[in-house]
Amino acid sequence: MTKGWTAKRIVERCVGVVVLVFVAIGPAALTDYWVSSILTQTFLLGIAAASLIFLSAYGGMISLAQTAIFGIAGFALANLVTTDATGGQNLGWNPWLGVAGAIVIATAIALVFGALASRSLGIYFLMITLALGVIGFYFFLQVDKLSGRAGIPTIRAHAPSIVGDTSAAPERLYYVALVLAFAVYVVIRYVVRTPFGIALQGIRDEPVRMASLGYNVPVHRMLAFGLAGFFASLGGVLYAWWNDLMDPAAIDLNAIVSLLVVAVIGGLGRIEGAWLGAFAFILINNYVRDIEVPVLGGSFPTVIGFIFLAIVLVSPDGLMGLWDRVWSGGRRRGDPPEVAVDVQRSAPEASPS
Amino acid sequence: MKVGKWKFLLPLGLLVAGSAVATSGALATSAQSSEVKIAILSECKGAFGGAYEEQIGAVQAAFSQYAGAKPKNKKKPSAGITGGALGGKTIKIVGYGCGDETPALALKETRRLMEQLGGEIMIGPLSGDEGVAVANYAKAHPKQTFLNGTSGGQQTTLKVRAKNFFRYNGDGAQWNAGTGEIAYKRLGWRNAAIIMDDYSFGYTSGAGFIAEFCAWGGKISKRVFVPSPNTDYSSYVQQLPAPDKIDGYFWVVGGSGTGPSVKAFTQAFGPMDPKKVIGNLFFAFLGNDKELAPQLVGAYMGGFGTGPGLQTPAAKAYRKLATKWYPDFNPDDGFYYNWWNPAWALTTAMDKINGDLSGGHQKLWAAMPRVLNAGFGKIVLDKNRQAIQDQYPIRYVKKGGAITFEVIGLIPQVDQTFGGQFSEKTPSPSRAAPACKKAKLPWMNKIIPVKNGVPQR
Repeated sequence: MTKGWTAKRIVERCVGVVVLVFVAIGPAALTDYWVSSILTQTFLLGIAAASLIFLSAYGGMISLAQTAIFGIAGFALANLVTTDATGGQNLGWNPWLGVAGAIVIATAIALVFGALASRSLGIYFLMITLALGVIGFYFFLQVDKLSGRAGIPTIRAHAPSIVGDTSAAPERLYYVALVLAFAVYVVIRYVVRTPFGIALQGIRDEPVRMASLGYNVPVHRMLAFGLAGFFASLGGVLYAWWNDLMDPAAIDLNAIVSLLVVAVIGGLGRIEGAWLGAFAFILINNYVRDIEVPVLGGSFPTVIGFIFLAIVLVSPDGLMGLWDRVWSGGRRRGDPPEVAVDVQRSAPEASPS
Repeated sequence: MKVGKWKFLLPLGLLVAGSAVATSGALATSAQSSEVKIAILSECKGAFGGAYEEQIGAVQAAFSQYAGAKPKNKKKPSAGITGGALGGKTIKIVGYGCGDETPALALKETRRLMEQLGGEIMIGPLSGDEGVAVANYAKAHPKQTFLNGTSGGQQTTLKVRAKNFFRYNGDGAQWNAGTGEIAYKRLGWRNAAIIMDDYSFGYTSGAGFIAEFCAWGGKISKRVFVPSPNTDYSSYVQQLPAPDKIDGYFWVVGGSGTGPSVKAFTQAFGPMDPKKVIGNLFFAFLGNDKELAPQLVGAYMGGFGTGPGLQTPAAKAYRKLATKWYPDFNPDDGFYYNWWNPAWALTTAMDKINGDLSGGHQKLWAAMPRVLNAGFGKIVLDKNRQAIQDQYPIRYVKKGGAITFEVIGLIPQVDQTFGGQFSEKTPSPSRAAPACKKAKLPWMNKIIPVKNGVPQR
């Protein structure tokens, strides 16, 4: 189906260009806090959320293991490159070699995770990936040779020169994260148009039919999981540099749920939702944390909980879904209660254009 | 539903809103030189969340006493203060951080306080792993100043050694000075087991006992580690040797976990024998004394750098000042005393330099007092800006029908290295370190008895 240059598409492209221009000149106009703690974090958290949305929108798999893979990359990097940290192995590898090693390790483990989970569906897939995510957290909490609760600090001092000192010059990591976020977005848009991506969407919609046509469904799912793991590992490496500390609390159950909340707020149906959700989540976390909700008290978890509920009730396909509905005259695509399945089926990029 | 114009206005509106928020964020950090921006990082969640108000209160009480501030609410310190000046600059509390023991949240809160809210000087954090994270953050942010709250991990100052991080309290090992000698000499232990929280403070606190007990010739036959915070300790206490197979236990389970861990032990092995258990500071503080004291009369404990009930002139004078501003808090509690001291030290340093923080705070660091004649004894900072201070082992006693705890000894000027046992080259306390070995400590056989709150020098 060819959509052509509809008014919606033109507006979306215009908004995209304006946003890109804005973020490109951002460091010149914004405070260091906004550059580092809001936008850089948005880019890297968005990458992790994009890995989740990619699996959800095009593979029909809502994975709760992405946080663990994100963490594995960060912990691997921290162990490989540091030399004098108070935790970890301090192997002192070359920074670029460490980055490559971290991504390879995380992607390989993602493939193993994918192989374990690829034959299950729905709630069972969710539970298996939740278990894998929690195992990731406890592994790094308990194995003090690789982390322990205090984690591994001073990773930033062993970052490649392109990242540099992110305290003194946060804009360098900002641009690295921006470029990687954009690259992840473009790659996902490309992949879903390749034969592999189209087969993946076929498997998402009709796995039995695809199997009968000769497609190896578990292998496709496993490869998709591996690709999503690769994206998540990029986010993990960026996080390690950005936070300058990898500790298990970064991938605990709270973090697992937070990544899902980011994806749901942004919209599980469209990749752009990953960064929109991350931006909204981080803004709320930073600026409305002291709001007191009458009777229930206050703080960030209460506020984000209400927003999450509102999103699920009003627009199950997130902020991007809300946007789509504006253009479809207020009609909701799909039935709201079945967020996981219907949102995926309603994804605009679900079919090749 | 007619949505035509919204199609175009929505993205425009979002962009404008985003720009407005970004701009307000940028404006929010513009500095005013007539103010000194102070941040306080405590914990309002997790095992130590109950000490949140107390620590904020201690800092603000010191500002009230020495810098002319005034509490807005004497019952609720987090309501803030009014007035007050440090070296002529108006005190502005930019925010109160809320940690939960984890380094991830401590770092996030530190970033919020120091970068988003523009803090210049931060007092905190509370807990061991948080301290390590904040000290590393301090190292990466050399134009800000950090004064430790109560975090007591050894590596925070012995390994990280950030030049802008000052700790006016002992670490967990220093606080336990005296416990090894008490176990070996008074209680006759030769073989002990230790149960400890599985993080840097737990390790450091345990290290103090291990180093001293082993220095005398004792052996540690079992080390059990429990995650913190936790609620079910049954599987961990089952890993301990039974009471008839061991001379005693050293207990390092903290915060809200102390009571449940002791309860799990009694369910597994029967009532605890007070002669077969020594606790660290967690046995006595955070309200644990109410639950534990009735079953542990006579049991010894490590201190918290404070001398509860000490009757020296300095202690009495400190109590009088410290309770003036927030009378509900116990000034003998380390969660108060150890936060009061750095705030007090800051007031003297800022007055000395007339509030001049130019040149990257270097004048402030030079002016921070190296000797503080504090309520419970002299505090001297070593070359890593780590306190050398008097330590006071304590004991549960029954007095006039009531059960309380009292100081039983004074160990003057305990340093972080334990007379060379720990150094920047020795491994940081961990599940395996320190090893148990016979050694010589500076205070062996030199514990000064304290009777009725008076040191018998």
